[in-house]
Amino acid sequence: MSVNTPAGPVDAASPDIDAIDLSDRDFWAEPPAVRHAVFDKLRAERPFAFFDEPTMEGMEPGPGYWAITRLADLDAISSQPAVFCSGQGAVSIQDIPADLSEFYGSMISMDDPRHARIRRIVAKTFTPRMLEQVVDSVVGIVDDVLAEARAKAEAGDGSLDVVADIAAPIPLRIICDMMGVPEEDRLLVLNASNTILSGGDPELTDEADPLTALLEAGMAMAELMGRLAAERIENPTDDLTTALVNSEVEGEKLTHQEIASFFILLLVAGNETTRTAIAQGLLALSENPEQRAAWMADPSMDKSAVEEIVRYVSPVTWMRRTATQDGEVNGHSFKEGDKFLLFYNAANRDPQSFENPHALDLARTPNNHVGFGGHGPHFCLGAHLARRELAVTFRRLFEICPDLEITGEPARLRSSFVNGLKRLPARLTGER
Amino acid sequence: MSRVQVDRERCVGSGVCESLAPDVFEIDDEGVLQVHREEPAADDLDGVRDAVQSCPARALALAE
Repeated sequence: MSVNTPAGPVDAASPDIDAIDLSDRDFWAEPPAVRHAVFDKLRAERPFAFFDEPTMEGMEPGPGYWAITRLADLDAISSQPAVFCSGQGAVSIQDIPADLSEFYGSMISMDDPRHARIRRIVAKTFTPRMLEQVVDSVVGIVDDVLAEARAKAEAGDGSLDVVADIAAPIPLRIICDMMGVPEEDRLLVLNASNTILSGGDPELTDEADPLTALLEAGMAMAELMGRLAAERIENPTDDLTTALVNSEVEGEKLTHQEIASFFILLLVAGNETTRTAIAQGLLALSENPEQRAAWMADPSMDKSAVEEIVRYVSPVTWMRRTATQDGEVNGHSFKEGDKFLLFYNAANRDPQSFENPHALDLARTPNNHVGFGGHGPHFCLGAHLARRELAVTFRRLFEICPDLEITGEPARLRSSFVNGLKRLPARLTGER
Repeated sequence: MSRVQVDRERCVGSGVCESLAPDVFEIDDEGVLQVHREEPAADDLDGVRDAVQSCPARALALAE
């Protein structure tokens, strides 16, 4: 399988299963309905489909990967970290050198016990109890961003860009506050994290040389970290950067590189995912006006609505696991070294787990989605923070910008990894 | 009496349990889960069962 896809779009109604190629970059530029139809087909007919790896300039092609699309298979793999490890790379399909993989993936691309030791350094900060203390600041930041967006739109013709004016600045300001990144460096953080997670979208990275762009973005973040770390050693504060520079794992301080990669992980993950959930969530609400009206009128829906947005949007499309031994999972045999891509977007639309899976149902309960990852040690560290940010953002949006109206087509990120939007045109109608 | 059991190898301090049964579970400053009441009060049992079900690392059990 995974022969070259014939020219032209896949037929959304019934894709030809042998023509599907998840490694084809153009597939990720297809409209969501087309992509979901493909994943529906794979899930129903070939739940362990095998694909060749995407080609990358200057690298030997790897052995290929299994695409996991059923929630039960995804969860079985995710919850057996000793058999399906992350240490050989969780965020790239190709085997990239271990030091590079750890630099950009930090603990995402580590296995226990090291993963657990590193994660514990920041675990406390992201617990619900600690986040209670940042609620007021989340509300303050959201209100500021929305007021600025409103003022900007009203100073002009009422138009705004949901991504640049609302979805990007909210998580950026929150995570930068938590990390202690000063105002003047935040644009750098935004641009670097865009590059690191752009998945080679030609608008955001130099297509001819994506690796250099990635390295430069990583260097810029590492330099910023070096500067902040030096300041925090002199003058400790209560931010996360101070926690990183002062923490010890097995009696040893983290190395400069470990701190830098942790810093990159927290900033990038804290930015891109929540931005995607806000932007894609607003788009989904505008496509489902009756759902939007019901949620707007009923704050008691906040909890279930936020979960449903995360399920429906699935901001992170996949993570990789690698088999550490031969074995079998749900009737499928595999060999040591086999790669698995866990497609969260597909599992989150699995009809075995969700009734009417392609419908946005903000009251859906239970909602055992895998938008924050499946069971296992790598479950999203920022899940509690993301839920808080999303609940506050949508509720305040309903109150401050009830007249927000999407006015055009979104510009979608061409990435297999993040389900992002680059732009989403909107306007404030002035009707309240 | 029901008793909470924690698999320390599995726990990553995600804090999901803390959100569901805050009187019973707390992630401490070192990121390690502390169980305040190994034998939870009757009022807390529903929350603890939720926590056992919801633990992303499958690190919790309730021996009843």
